Amino acid sequence: MVEVGAYIPLGQRGVWSDVKPIAQDDGPNPIVPIMYSEEYRDAMDYFRAIAASGEKSERALELTETIIRLNPAHYTVWQYRMSTLLELKKDLEEELQLMNEFAVENLKSYQVWHHRLLLLTHISPQDPSSEIDYIHQALLPDPKNYHTWAYLHWLYSHFSTLGRVTDKQWKYEQRWCEEMLRVDGRNNSAWGWRWFLRVARPGAAASQADGVKEELNYTLEAIHLIPHNISAWNYLRGLLKHLKLPLTPLLPAILPYTARPSAQIPEVPSTFEFPLPSDPLPNDTPLPVPLALEYLGDSLIEQNQTIEAGEVFGELSMEYDRMRTGYWEFRRRECVEE
Amino acid sequence: MTDPDRPRLQQHTFKRNAHINYFRRCLRALPTAAQSSDSNRVTAAYFCLSALDLLDALETTPEQRSGWVEWIWSLQSPSGGFRGSPFMTTSNEKTSPPHLPSTYTALLSLAILRAPLDRLNISGLIGLLRSCQAPDGSIIGDSSGVDIPQACSFVERCQVSLLNPPHADKKTWEGAYASRPGVVEAQGGTTYCSVAALSLLNHTATAGDATLRWLVGRQLGGFQGRPSKLQDVCYSFWCGAAISSPLGGFGKEPEDYPDPFHSYLALAALSLSHSQAELKPLDARWNVSVGTRTWLVTEIARIK
Repeated sequence: MVEVGAYIPLGQRGVWSDVKPIAQDDGPNPIVPIMYSEEYRDAMDYFRAIAASGEKSERALELTETIIRLNPAHYTVWQYRMSTLLELKKDLEEELQLMNEFAVENLKSYQVWHHRLLLLTHISPQDPSSEIDYIHQALLPDPKNYHTWAYLHWLYSHFSTLGRVTDKQWKYEQRWCEEMLRVDGRNNSAWGWRWFLRVARPGAAASQADGVKEELNYTLEAIHLIPHNISAWNYLRGLLKHLKLPLTPLLPAILPYTARPSAQIPEVPSTFEFPLPSDPLPNDTPLPVPLALEYLGDSLIEQNQTIEAGEVFGELSMEYDRMRTGYWEFRRRECVEE
Repeated sequence: MTDPDRPRLQQHTFKRNAHINYFRRCLRALPTAAQSSDSNRVTAAYFCLSALDLLDALETTPEQRSGWVEWIWSLQSPSGGFRGSPFMTTSNEKTSPPHLPSTYTALLSLAILRAPLDRLNISGLIGLLRSCQAPDGSIIGDSSGVDIPQACSFVERCQVSLLNPPHADKKTWEGAYASRPGVVEAQGGTTYCSVAALSLLNHTATAGDATLRWLVGRQLGGFQGRPSKLQDVCYSFWCGAAISSPLGGFGKEPEDYPDPFHSYLALAALSLSHSQAELKPLDARWNVSVGTRTWLVTEIARIK
């Protein structure tokens, strides 16, 4: 009688009776030996045996599934599984279904995503939108997952190169990205995705003049919504740098966050056509915003007012961003010693 | 006084003996939970050995040391490079190809143990490095095409300056580095790899203005890996190293259980910050003690 739930070694199951398992040879002095579970050790012993003989079969597929469920980072087993699927001409859509289950359980396993990428490359659908929808769903429980975002980037890059991403799909993707940022304006991954959609991809809107204006507006409005949002500030600086635009023209939208005495803040020129913060600022915004002071400092350098810029960095160092006091002191000295 | 905002397990003293015991225990055995590291055991070994090196606590018997050295050499593939562990060693050579990150950690482990490198297959190693470079210049983990983002740091570590990866393509809108060209978000680990690699290729290079700005912005006390993410102790090393030129061990976050990866990187970060006189100085680009780096450079020159 077998105890209910007890592990039945593969050697006692008829399907494996013709295979001689190969134990791991860890030598007399192994370093960091792992206390394997019985199930894992057993499965690996049989995996070594079929890999050595090169067997590609249904039972080999089952064995690889057993192992990757126990160790989803097992790149050799993943690779063997892929080549077996192809050799047996298995239905790859079915494998994709299995991967849907895996992706949910192992969001942080690089290999799960790489396997999925290979599957999509082989299936090569004419319209990738259902896969895109699936990935959007997968990001909901873990909206900053690096692997998932990298995979979404691959999907769009790969299928747009093949000419299978329509204008409608690009627009839909931008709306989806805006929704992600509406839900969490601090999601840096979603900001990175916006950069791809609006700036980096071939045919992106920010390569045209009205696209640039739209992008600057969007970013400033995001800053006005969450003034301490580092992602939005980084995006703004990245945008200006990428487009080789100066920082200074946008100062009227930034200065209120520096909490300068009102006498030092010039009136907003009537020609200024970018979104301004609310006046007065909401009570719950701690002032000054260090990121705004940094922007002011860099703008002063741009205007060759290095002494004044040094003073701003000095304030950051001594008072407003003590965590980075060494860095701001370094920036201050750069200004004063030039 | 108990501070209600402070996690319970946080400690302020550096428990040298507890850390030493933790890493020695790991060298003897890892728990079943470490099964997911089965294919990268030599890297786990490197974390433990390098930690004991920094702690200046690597005393072993000559038999123990030569046993470990033999285990590492058993991982060298006949064609060059090292495997991550004996997990796929069979009579069929094709089942156990070499692996780039494992080659890096195997070499450093041998150096920490001061093992002569006469048995190193240098021409095979260079062949492996060449075969792992993708057309876009990025580095893949092994010849099967399985990408390991961190591997980008490896190439120059082995003193092979014949490859010249175009790291600039990995730079994002934020001024720091992502895992592959075009990927949309920078991260602390990949930024360390790129900065260290650039620095090794060109000894005068350090983190550029925009990258430095991004890196210092990651400090919240400890460091985070990306903006608006939680702190994680390993980023104290990844970010800290890129900037500079009640249990033993450390967990990822204040209440987590320790693992060799986070434990070692926490020690490495402490060594970098010069806050622990009990730790040997670290070479941040190689991620190994300065003494071991010096030994390895001399040894490579000797066998070439």
